[in-house]
Amino acid sequence: MTALLRRLSSTRFTLLGMALLAVGAALSYDNPVDTPVWALVAPMALLAVNLLAAVMSNARINRRPGLLIFHLSLLGIVILAAIGRLTHMEAHIEMVEGSTFDPAELMNVRKGPWHRGELEKVVFVQGPFTVDYGPGMMRGPTRSHVLVPDGQGGWERRVVGDDTPLVLEGYRFYTTFNKGFAAVLTWIPETGEPVTGTIHMPSYPLFDFRQANRWTPPGGEEVKFWLQLETGLKADQAWTLDPSKAHGILVLRSGEQREELLPGQATALPGGVLRYEGLSSWMGYKLFYDPTLQWLFLTAVIGVLGLAAYFWNKFATHPWPQAGEVSRKGAEPELETAPWGGGKL
Amino acid sequence: MMNEMSEATVFTELPWLYTGLVAYALATLSAFYGLVRTRGGDAGAAVNRSHESLVLALLTGGVILLTASLAERWLRLGHGPFVNLFELLISQLFSLGLIYAVAYWRLPVLRPTAVVVLPMLWVLGTWVLLLEPSDSHYPPTYYNEWLWAHVGFGKFFLAFCLIGSGLAGVILLRRIPRVAPFFRHLPPDKVLDHMAWRFMLLALIFDSLMLIAGAVWAQDAWGRYWAWDALETSSFLNWLFLGAALHARLSYRIPIHVGALAIIGIFVFAFLTYFGTPFYSEAAHKGVI
Repeated sequence: MTALLRRLSSTRFTLLGMALLAVGAALSYDNPVDTPVWALVAPMALLAVNLLAAVMSNARINRRPGLLIFHLSLLGIVILAAIGRLTHMEAHIEMVEGSTFDPAELMNVRKGPWHRGELEKVVFVQGPFTVDYGPGMMRGPTRSHVLVPDGQGGWERRVVGDDTPLVLEGYRFYTTFNKGFAAVLTWIPETGEPVTGTIHMPSYPLFDFRQANRWTPPGGEEVKFWLQLETGLKADQAWTLDPSKAHGILVLRSGEQREELLPGQATALPGGVLRYEGLSSWMGYKLFYDPTLQWLFLTAVIGVLGLAAYFWNKFATHPWPQAGEVSRKGAEPELETAPWGGGKL
Repeated sequence: MMNEMSEATVFTELPWLYTGLVAYALATLSAFYGLVRTRGGDAGAAVNRSHESLVLALLTGGVILLTASLAERWLRLGHGPFVNLFELLISQLFSLGLIYAVAYWRLPVLRPTAVVVLPMLWVLGTWVLLLEPSDSHYPPTYYNEWLWAHVGFGKFFLAFCLIGSGLAGVILLRRIPRVAPFFRHLPPDKVLDHMAWRFMLLALIFDSLMLIAGAVWAQDAWGRYWAWDALETSSFLNWLFLGAALHARLSYRIPIHVGALAIIGIFVFAFLTYFGTPFYSEAAHKGVI
């Protein structure tokens, strides 16, 4: 048993594991779809076994608390990162001003098999937003206003954006560069109840000249929409995107029919009447959930502190050589070869 | 408008930058002068070290002038030197110079490494002279305090790698018969090797802290703490190579010159990670700002 542990704890295994991990890391660059997760998991597992064996059998590690803490924290990081991947969730959502968060509207959802978050408890209402731009359309700070329940039956106003996410029930909502305008429409069918909804136009100002989309009303024919926007955009000057100050004329085409609608105006189309209620805006959020984040941070910091403490003690007992004090003779005792064959530092 | 901007650039930070680089160049020349003067002394022997005060004074002067250059640019643009290559290089010239100057002052045994370290700084100095001092836009995700921690730890990491490389460079230079007499008065290779690896141990601590702070910043800025972008992959590989080299050094009888080559290799990799990767790949931090 001891012999097996010693073999497993060999530095050769450590170096092999590190080399394989380097290959896995290189293959994982940019997250290519054809790189299997084993490229990283296998070398990490090898290193974990090697480390556990070393901790159990090697006095160079287990009798040095700082070094032990550092190595165990590495193991902890690997385990936490694995748990994080199994329980994580990532998604995107476009929130129209005035709308309440609805998990059913999430797009590009990716989550681990053990994800057990309480997304249904997340409640917030999207408010208005502004985005500053410098000359040359350089994006500046984003300020997205949201309302969250204050726990006393009312609403609390919060401003999020860029590096300040909205964190609710462990879910983190980050504003993205993806945001734009939406046309609020009411479809009044010839038979049945009117339906109100929004047509999201492409991201603005990224697609300033392509503010178009299409939609087929229930029982009707496909309608092409184009939004003529007036936002005050000046590409060569500082400017703030503020949808509340923007105006938009909705141009629609259905077959040979072309209409320009102002807010409140309606037009008859095959199958019903379409009313343009007004201009609204949407903010694109990235959703991120990983319950291990704080633990990862804590484990990593404790590990580095352990390593720092170990070297602090080491350097304190063997000070740096000073000029004039070092001679060929005088240097030798401190630099004697370590018992295991390597060099002491 | 653009001409006015260019003139403003020329008349604010550039004179400070140029004079700072001149100070570094004079410090380099003084270090070489001192090396030639002390040629042939025995290890640990008393040698004339009067030039070292001049090297330190010039290095300190260069750091002060580069500080003024950075301050001028900071005041003019309203943000720190974190975005384009021009300002990253000035910032590194400042921090590497400052940390090396402190080490040079506090650890006199390191001083002969100036003939290796200062020319390395001049690689950055020459590079910055070839660049347009263009203004940069400060991305909104950079208004995050973790950026400071990330960059600060990174500066210590690179500086300790640089000092380790300076010592490793001396070890390798001493293997050249014609050059060896210039470094004979220095401690034996074993001592230099020992010191070099100590600096690499310090580099590992700051590299780890840099990765942690960077992950926290990335989580805040882009909603993920690790995504294997070009800079993250390269930084992780650098950390791994450093860790592997330290394991090998502590466990096996690695010939000193091989260890020295490994240290220089790690520094070169770190250098390429800092100054190559973000500008090689649009998907690196530059691409996701």
